Parts: sequence; C-alpha cells; structure tokens
Amino acid sequence: MSVATATSIQVTGARRVYPSGAGGELVALNDVDLSVRAGSFVSVIGPSGCGKSTLLRLVAGLEDPERGEVRVCGVSPHEAAAAKMLGLVPQTPALLPWLSVLGNVKLPAKVNRGASRKRAGVPGPSMEELLRKAGLQDAMHKLPSQLSGGMQQRAAIVRAFALRPDVLLMDEPFSALDEFTRESLQEQLLDLWDELQATVLFVTHSVTEAVRLSDRIVVMAPRPGRITEVIDVDLPRPRGSALLKTPEFHHYEDLVRDALRGAFHGS
Amino acid sequence: MAEQEVIMPLPAARRRTRRPSLGFLHPRMWLPLVLMLVLLGFLWQWGAHKLPYLLPPLEDIGTTLKEDSEYYLDSAWATLKEALGGLGLGLVCAFVLAIVVSEFPLARRAIMPVAVILNVTPLVAIAPALVVAFGFGMLPKLIVTGLICFFPILINTSMGLRTVPQPVLQVYRTVNASRLETLWYIRIPSAMPYLFAALRIVFPLSIVGAVVAELSAAGSSKGLGTAISLASSMNRLAAVWASIAILAVLGSLLLLAVTLLERRVLHWHETRQGSGR
Repeated sequence: MSVATATSIQVTGARRVYPSGAGGELVALNDVDLSVRAGSFVSVIGPSGCGKSTLLRLVAGLEDPERGEVRVCGVSPHEAAAAKMLGLVPQTPALLPWLSVLGNVKLPAKVNRGASRKRAGVPGPSMEELLRKAGLQDAMHKLPSQLSGGMQQRAAIVRAFALRPDVLLMDEPFSALDEFTRESLQEQLLDLWDELQATVLFVTHSVTEAVRLSDRIVVMAPRPGRITEVIDVDLPRPRGSALLKTPEFHHYEDLVRDALRGAFHGS
Repeated sequence: MAEQEVIMPLPAARRRTRRPSLGFLHPRMWLPLVLMLVLLGFLWQWGAHKLPYLLPPLEDIGTTLKEDSEYYLDSAWATLKEALGGLGLGLVCAFVLAIVVSEFPLARRAIMPVAVILNVTPLVAIAPALVVAFGFGMLPKLIVTGLICFFPILINTSMGLRTVPQPVLQVYRTVNASRLETLWYIRIPSAMPYLFAALRIVFPLSIVGAVVAELSAAGSSKGLGTAISLASSMNRLAAVWASIAILAVLGSLLLLAVTLLERRVLHWHETRQGSGR
C-alpha cells in the first residue's frame, strides 16, 4: 500500500442545516467526514433524506457547509470550479434544447475561457472521439429532443467528461432510466472513467449499481444525515455484465443491504 | 453459463416529421374558411341593403379602394411605419428592462410596480395627453405604440429568463460560468419561446397603438386612423370601411410575419416540432 496516495476529495466535520417550516430546522448533514482517494470511484448510498445529494452539492460548491471544511484537490470547491476541475452530471440530462448534442457538449469549454486555456495542455481524446465512444456518433448533430432519455443522459456524461475534470460528481444520473439502458450506460461510464482517470463521487439509491461501479461505497442514514458505514468493494475490473451473477457480487450486495438496513433501524 | 451479451439496438432517433408543405391546398384546409367568408359576405350585403345608412355595400368599398389606391397605400405605409417603429422601441426597452429585473431583485421591486401602473392606465386616455406634450409628429405615436407593446414583452421575457431549470444552472456553476455567460448562452435563448409568445400578441397590437395615436391627433398627419376620422366626419361610410379593411389586412400580415419568424428562430422548440412520432 502506498502511503503517498493523493486525496482528491476531503470533507471534514461538515454540517449543513436547512430551515424547515415553523422555525424548525432540518439537519441534512451532521459532522460528516469523507476522504476520497484520487482516481477512485466512490458511491454514496442511502435512503432519501440522508443528505447524500447535499454532500454532493457541498463538494460541487453549490452550497457551503455551516461548519466543517470541504477541499477538492487541495483547494476549496469554488476555486476548483473556477479552475474547471469539476464536472457535474445531474439527475436529469439538463441539456440545452436549442443546441445540438455537439453544441451542448462543447459549451462548457466556451464559458470561463481563462480556465479552459490553462487546462488545454491536459492530454485526452477529442470531443468527437468521446461522443463516438459513448455511441453518439450519429446523434452528434441532432437536437436533444430527438434522442431517447438514455442517449440524452449519455450526452450529459460526455459533457461532464469533455473538460477532463479531476473530479466528476454524479447525482443519481441513471435513476430515471429503464433497467437495460441503465446497465449499458453503467458499462460505458466505466469505460470512459477507465480511460480518463477522474475521481468519481456517485450518488445513487441502487445497491446493484453501487456495487458494480464502485471501489468504495459510503452508506448514509437520515435524521440527522450522517455516514454510518464505508464498504470497500474488492471486485476485479473490468466489471462486465457477467460479474453481476457471481456469488462475490451478491456477497457485496448483501453487505450493502445489511448496512442500509442497519442505518435505517439504528436511527 | 456462457456470457450473454446484451446487445441493445440504439433507439432510432426520431426524425422530425413535417406535414407535406402543400397540405393547405387540400379542400379540407381552405373550404371551411371560404364558405364562412361567403356567408359573411352575403350577410353584409343583406345588411347594407336593409340599412344603407349604416353599412356600405362591398362594391362601394372596393371602388373607393381602387379609385384612391394611392392615398390608401400612403396612409397604410404611414401607419405601418408608426406601428413597427413603436414596436421596435417597446421591444428594446422591454427586453433590456426584463434582463435588469430578472438579474437584480432590487430593481425588480422598483420597476415592476411602475410598469404595472403604466399598463393598467388606459392608453386611450394617455394618447391625447401625449399629443399635447409632443405635438402632432411621429414621436407621440411611437410612444403610444411602444407603451402598448412594452408590458407583454416585459412580463413574458422576464419570466422566460428566470425559468431555466436548476440542474442546467448547476452544471454551468460547477464550471464557473460568469453571470454574463449564463445570461448570454443560457437565459436569453431559454427566454425566446416566451418572447415570441409576447410578440404574437404585440405585433397586431402595434397597429392598435398607431391607430389610437392617430385618432387622438386627427387631421394633422397621415395614416389610416387619420383617414378614418376624416372620412367619418364627412360621413363617407365606404371610405371608413376601406381603411378598416386595410387595417385588418395589415394586422393579419404582421401576425403572419411573426409566425414565420418564430418558425425560423424556434425550430428547436417542442411546439414547433412535428407532434407525430
């Protein structure tokens, strides 16, 4: 084990509180510590209301913690955003309906140009190549409304990867898709990730998805939102569809399910 | 067990289906309207026959238009210029203000109540006052037309600028897009369908503004409104209705123009795409 493994995301003692009706407050996150190794794939799983999306938004710099600290590659999330070190894939594709797929994928490079220039030296595949890898070569010049939901979400993933970010943040990106589309997108995501070597923080509520994709699974519980368990997934990669049927895979699924149950009843 | 590859055919992208462009030639498309017009024509002629002091027969209106065609074309051109000039003025002011009020909540609180008050004040009442203030020239007409066009554009555009879905904004916040970039690349294009909804109302309305302004300053300038007030003071019914007919045509042409423009600009929008899958 190398001692010098770089930490990509470091959350220490983060607390986030939302005001709720009648002067009360909802503790979305309480004293959360999380450390994600550079280049690893980490899933966050938990029942709704456990603060997993809040955690993601803190790392994305979309919200700030009341207490505690968030560092991304050693800087604050806002600095990371300014340097274009982040990529976000939200739950919905969030494509701009008047731009073609190619136009949508290229737009993040057009904004905040200063940071784009600084990152220009980072080697990697071209935009067209990325789209081809995602199976979007024929859809490049089509409008999002002419594509299926799965293809739209693929375009959203390529858009996030296109800047070759150090950290990719994904908020239940496949939850609106059917089972088959979901599995093929998981496979493509792993392919892209394998090639581009980003750190991924992946929020999900699917146990199978978490086990298949991740190096490490963070289990969270609600009221107040907190991390209850961290499970390392020691399965070989690449993880093809055959792996889903092996006993090892089921073993990890059971581990996560038990952890989730514990998180639910222990509170 | 052999590994079963799940090969998924990618769903073929829906091709945009367009109605065949000559579809309007089918009798089903034009016959109802033609029948309706014939019926209305008959009713008109019957009314003109019964009440000769209230309605001129259609042929008289036609003759008037033909004999004084130059006068009517001139007047129509004058009214159209006022209408489009005022529309342009209203559009520019409303669009700029829509951006201001959607970007700055404080400005919103200051500007919107004033805009609402302006909107609820009857324009017909403002017009004569403007004529007193600015004379019989072009300026009061532009202001009246601009005012009538201003409010729908302001309301719709400011709403459109603020209806960008949160996930889209979040994606671009994580790459640190500036406020100006967000406005230019995301908010303004998002507002286009809203702007065009307003333009569809406002294009024909601009004619109303121009005519109201002309009627308030009658006898002093050109324009169809002036033509109407002159003709009615001389009890020339056919001439009154000739001007009205031209106004109806002008309004329809403006509506057609905005529809064609919308089709070009908003080709990506749901309502513009073939509904057939």
